[in-house]
Amino acid sequence: MARLADLVVSAVLLAGLYATMAYGLGLIYGVLRVVNLAHGGVIMAGAYVGWVLFDRFGVDPYLAIPVVLVLGFALGVAMYRVLIRRLPRGASGGPASLLLLFGVWLVLRNIAYLLFTGNDRSIRTAYSSSSLAIAGTHVPVTRLIVLAIGLVIAVGLHLLLHRTLVGRAIRAAAQNADSCTLVGIDVERIYRLTFGIGTALAGVAGVLLATVFSFNPASGSSELLKSFVVVVLGGLGSMSGVVLAALVVAAAEVFAVLILPSYLTSAVGFLLLVLVLVLRPGGLFGHRVLA
Amino acid sequence: MALLETRGLTRRFGGLTALDGVDLSLGAGEILGVIGPNGAGKTTLFSLIAGSLRPSAGAILLDGQPVTRLPAHRRVRAGIVRTHQIVRPFANLTVFENVLVAAMHAHGGAAGHARDRAADVLELVGLADRYDQPPSALTLAGRKRLELARALATGPRVLLLDEVVAGVNPAEALAFAQLIRRVRDGRGVAVVMTEHVMPAVMSLSDRIIVLEHGKRIAEGAPRDVVSDPRVIAAYLGSEAAAAGEAAP
Amino acid sequence: MTVPPLIPRGMARVFLAVCVVLAVLPALDLSLYTHNLLTRAYILIAAALAWNWMGGFVGQISFGHAAMFGVGGFVAARGMLDLHLPPQLCWLGGAVAAGVFALGAHPLLRLRGPYFSIATIGVGEASRVVFTYWEKFTGGATGLSLPIDADFQYQLYWWTLGVAAVVAAASVVIRRSSFGLRLLAIKADVEAAADVGISATLYQDLIFMLSGAVVGLCGGLSASYASFIEPSDTFGFERSIAFVLMAVIGGTGTALGPALGAAVFVLVDTSLLASYPELHLGLYGVLLINIMLFEPLGLLGLGQRVLRLARGPKPAPRRA
Repeated sequence: MARLADLVVSAVLLAGLYATMAYGLGLIYGVLRVVNLAHGGVIMAGAYVGWVLFDRFGVDPYLAIPVVLVLGFALGVAMYRVLIRRLPRGASGGPASLLLLFGVWLVLRNIAYLLFTGNDRSIRTAYSSSSLAIAGTHVPVTRLIVLAIGLVIAVGLHLLLHRTLVGRAIRAAAQNADSCTLVGIDVERIYRLTFGIGTALAGVAGVLLATVFSFNPASGSSELLKSFVVVVLGGLGSMSGVVLAALVVAAAEVFAVLILPSYLTSAVGFLLLVLVLVLRPGGLFGHRVLA
Repeated sequence: MALLETRGLTRRFGGLTALDGVDLSLGAGEILGVIGPNGAGKTTLFSLIAGSLRPSAGAILLDGQPVTRLPAHRRVRAGIVRTHQIVRPFANLTVFENVLVAAMHAHGGAAGHARDRAADVLELVGLADRYDQPPSALTLAGRKRLELARALATGPRVLLLDEVVAGVNPAEALAFAQLIRRVRDGRGVAVVMTEHVMPAVMSLSDRIIVLEHGKRIAEGAPRDVVSDPRVIAAYLGSEAAAAGEAAP
Repeated sequence: MTVPPLIPRGMARVFLAVCVVLAVLPALDLSLYTHNLLTRAYILIAAALAWNWMGGFVGQISFGHAAMFGVGGFVAARGMLDLHLPPQLCWLGGAVAAGVFALGAHPLLRLRGPYFSIATIGVGEASRVVFTYWEKFTGGATGLSLPIDADFQYQLYWWTLGVAAVVAAASVVIRRSSFGLRLLAIKADVEAAADVGISATLYQDLIFMLSGAVVGLCGGLSASYASFIEPSDTFGFERSIAFVLMAVIGGTGTALGPALGAAVFVLVDTSLLASYPELHLGLYGVLLINIMLFEPLGLLGLGQRVLRLARGPKPAPRRA
């Protein structure tokens, strides 16, 4: 039974991370209808920024989060202004935006490789190996902090979207961009903001990731896949949807370790993805996922 | 035996019942109009008959044979084809290719002469001189003709027209109406049409069915249906119906 | 109203002429370096063209084609090592295996656009992980060495040229045939396509299987050429990216654009590898970004635009 408690706790903690990863992807998709294929790359970039601040300047990774937020936001706005904005809207822009963002991912990957080489990195602080005894199991402190920060971010995002003017404009744009123009909302500005927030969130997810797992320039694909599964499964309408979906994904992964040989666990993300996409006929945000 | 029949056709979306136990039957060469206020279930009915949606309950029969389980593309081969309310031409193909790709799936499998059939249909709808242009070069009326041509190219036995004259000027609407009549007369095609443009539906239909809240509330000849108090109530409210009855 | 023919006579003649010229080229005292460069180019031309059957014709962009490249390559390699079959038979075996693999990915084909693309990233990565650890089959990190002598490697030039020629011809034929028309309709609007009688599943399965089989064939040829095959490279993300890039550079809007793209890619890649081996991915990324911003239809698209400007204003039908 203690074993089960271990797994459950692991799943909950992991879910916090996965939810944080998914928000950025989901927000951008929900508002701009663009799948940010650079999402994994931004997560990786965030991880490196956190690592550099820690390794070179001794800044605690969790304290570096505001910095990463700002940098991530700036990156997102720049990406939107310079690149995304120029693409044709709608169906014809679809493949183009995919490939464009994919190109951005490749560039990010190469920059990371040039600056930091391909070696695995992770952020190991003084308390990285400490753990607390909770519910009869030992829980690594870092994972707890990640969960806590994840909750803070979730609450903050909810407040932003539901209690601020900007947030309401974002939600309106997600529903119907044309109507927004009619009532005087500057849709371009909203898109810029949304992209910035989405990238900022991805960057923060990267820092959190770096404190718990190791990473290298090639990281990002499984993060992208998992974020995608969470978004598809949970939908954007409710935060709780994302949180629930993150729990499902995390639980699947944690329990998969029991049945599958270790090297296959990374394939779990993919298997989940296929399962979710194939079995969820309801579609996503009212759009048809399936043909 | 009716050419097309639906029995108890029902479709639910979660808690909402969009279509509730609708029966209808259609004979060869008949034009059936389907009218009703917004949200009555007209487009849902079309999607169910065409195969883009699966019914929650009920059956659809063609020539007495059930087609309820057939996917949309198989129904086209069986002879049921639809047009779309908001036209959906293949933007990356020319006008000719749009019609050709439909002609290749003609009912009866006589696809060997697809190119000829496509050319014929384009002549019929009057788009022959635009054959190598992209759909974006056409006006809305042109694109509606293209939509109709595409449907006709499949050699249908049952043609489902979803608000085909909506948004075109009266002259065009008249031309369309004539086209539909020619199609029915010349090729014996049975037509189910839904429209908000009353004059078109009234003059073309042999019979009319009225839907409200997913149920069939009236059926009959155009003239009778239009003065039926239940129909008037559905569109304008019950007071208007009473006023209509009271007036001479 | 005249109905255009399937393949213009002139085009077929030019095509044959080019093939003949390429076939006799080695007799003209070509350096071994160029000879081998061309061999590699022919393999990639075939692979890029086949990728485009999915990416350009039916509009499903795959970031995981390396999976089929790898399956084909390793099945071919095993055929040579374990069963001692002649290489040609092994290549065919690899193609069949890859085609079956593609059929197995059938559930993915119900997905559209970005959903499909992300799923293919998953397939590619999962394959890489699984096959790298399946040491009995793939030799793990060390890979497999194949008994290919220098003579046969030299002759590969004509085998690969043949494959590339056949695949190029097939590309044109498919594009202009009723099969191709259906694929384009599916690409434009899959629901409307069903509404005119096109079975989206059937045609997508078919083209995916063909695309996978050809790419698998290329995997076998590539293994023979290098007399070596190793999973992390063959199934790697870089490999998948390369296919995408080649097709995009040349132009996904036409049947033969990817052939041009592959040729350019091989040239650029070899010179890049020499001078800036570490800027690989970044340069590909920048290239993708620029192409998508300025000319999404690639080099051939650019060429068409220039031609149109040269001819003067005339409402030419835009093909995608």
